[in-house]
Amino acid sequence: MASSVTLRQIDDYRWEIPREGKMRTRGLIFCSREMLPDVQGDQSLQQVANVATLPGIVGPSMAMPDIHWGYGFAIGGVAAFNLDEGIISPGGVGYDINCGVRLLRTKLHRDQVQPRMEELVNILFGNIPSGVGSRRKDLKLSMPTLKQVMKYGSNWAVKNGYGHESDLDHIEARGTIEGADPDMVSQFAMDRGKDQLGTLGSGNHFVEVGQVLEIYDKKIAAALGLFKDQVTVIVHTGSRGLGHQVCDDYIKVMLKASAKYGIELPDRQLCCAPLGSPEGRQYLAAMSAAANFAFANRQMVTHWVRESFEQVFQMGPRDLGMELVYDVAHNIAKIETHTVDGKSQKLCIHRKGATRAFPPGHPEVPEAYRETGQPVLIPGDMGRYSFVLVGTQQALTETFGSTCHGAGRRMSRHAALKVAKGRSIVRELAERGIIVRGAGRGTIDEEISEAYKDVQGVVDICHGAGIAKKVAKLKPMGVMKG
Amino acid sequence: MHPDVSPRGRRPKYRQLPHTADLGWRIWGDSLPELFENAAAALVSTLTDRRRLRLSETREISLESVDRESLLVDWLNYLLYLFDVDGFLGRDFRVASLTSRRLRARVRGERFDPARHPERTGVKAATYHQLKIGREEGVWQATVIIDL
Repeated sequence: MASSVTLRQIDDYRWEIPREGKMRTRGLIFCSREMLPDVQGDQSLQQVANVATLPGIVGPSMAMPDIHWGYGFAIGGVAAFNLDEGIISPGGVGYDINCGVRLLRTKLHRDQVQPRMEELVNILFGNIPSGVGSRRKDLKLSMPTLKQVMKYGSNWAVKNGYGHESDLDHIEARGTIEGADPDMVSQFAMDRGKDQLGTLGSGNHFVEVGQVLEIYDKKIAAALGLFKDQVTVIVHTGSRGLGHQVCDDYIKVMLKASAKYGIELPDRQLCCAPLGSPEGRQYLAAMSAAANFAFANRQMVTHWVRESFEQVFQMGPRDLGMELVYDVAHNIAKIETHTVDGKSQKLCIHRKGATRAFPPGHPEVPEAYRETGQPVLIPGDMGRYSFVLVGTQQALTETFGSTCHGAGRRMSRHAALKVAKGRSIVRELAERGIIVRGAGRGTIDEEISEAYKDVQGVVDICHGAGIAKKVAKLKPMGVMKG
Repeated sequence: MHPDVSPRGRRPKYRQLPHTADLGWRIWGDSLPELFENAAAALVSTLTDRRRLRLSETREISLESVDRESLLVDWLNYLLYLFDVDGFLGRDFRVASLTSRRLRARVRGERFDPARHPERTGVKAATYHQLKIGREEGVWQATVIIDL
């Protein structure tokens, strides 16, 4: 079903949905003429217009170039709400709370790793539980421990031997969102999460060993510790069943709350509550707890990635140099301070399939990146490439410091399976030098390159519009699919 | 993708609908309880090959919700909850009683074992998006979108 929403071109990278009807603000879409048909192919533009009707929205209702249909809010959506009249919505975050990406660098050259790639992928596969229903048999958390995880996130993981203190300096919010309240998370959600900490999950989640293919900005790349032909690792996962249950639980709460507070909804899936209401505060606290679970999850997966490298290459941590470049959340709502009309204001920024992209000098950017800007990690599909960018001043002023998050699907899983039918995707990728192993054949076929937009196009729009700056391009060498 | 025909071979119990980011199911049933049973079968067939599951364990389920549609979503999400908690997947679903707000059911199946059960696609949740339950020419029909 194609979209019938009016779009007006502003410049090469910006399109506007003019304010009309019940919209309280305009829509702003970052897109190019070439990618426009992809964006118009589903109902996502209507979703951007719907978000613009919500109370307390500040600035435009925005969408990044990787926009596609999502539950309630479009995926690729960014929206800010003031704390007085504004709302918070589980649909503005998504089911996989704090789904995110982290990038590790190594001291290894691709030629050292390439010949051992099959072995490395197999070892990763053995050390990190993945796939449908993945759970850790060796790590079952008691409820008090699980609550600690939800309160302290990556910090809990590091204190318990998973990684180094210095990792925390390279994680958004240092891997711990303040204000997380595990008591706002249901027993159901905790039951789902207790065996899942340290698991990858399935679908589009992965661990990808790659190489730096191209450097766009030498100085910034050097500051991030990146060099050409260097081996890197990307970890992409989130809060697993715990986060899904928090979302599901609070959608029910919000359906009632929207009626209670008289919030008019163009779509039931935008159900929400005022940020100042008990329901709104409870969701924020529960969502933050789930986000911390996800930060701890990626921290633990990182630990096993490091162990896997040590096992395969028989090298110590010092020689491997597997340091964390950065860890970003791309499904989250956060209270942040932004300047609006010259005044500093606290806002709740919903980023659903969008990445924070803070500029050089911003107080929330870690010390190491004060001069470069915050690293932004954009994974592509398993057959193409991923990107490292940094945040910009333009992003801070125009998009509340936000940019894209990935490629975005252009084909349903059903259609992807049809395209993959009769082909061996694993062999095709191997011929191109990419070793892929998935828990099930289905997941690999569903995740074929053709099913995704070209992430290069998405990133070029963000770079062109100035809401992120390209630093390096990474090419996958070995992928462990969830 | 995984057509599953009813015993009488007339009409499928469920069929997949194309949806870019997620997955949709159209589900049919001669009665409302059967519709719910078939929806559960569709969900499990998303995760694995249901026919390979043994009937070695039983779960009794009792749920309450605000209306029929929410009850369907809650029922499916409860089955996902059971799967996350200890890997339990149902093969045989019997809805014993069903009103627009209450459901009691018995599910038989077993715990998922990657060695014996093929992995298909992970499911995050059943959603309220395009959620519909209706009756046409005496046949119950539902649409459910699954977030993957």
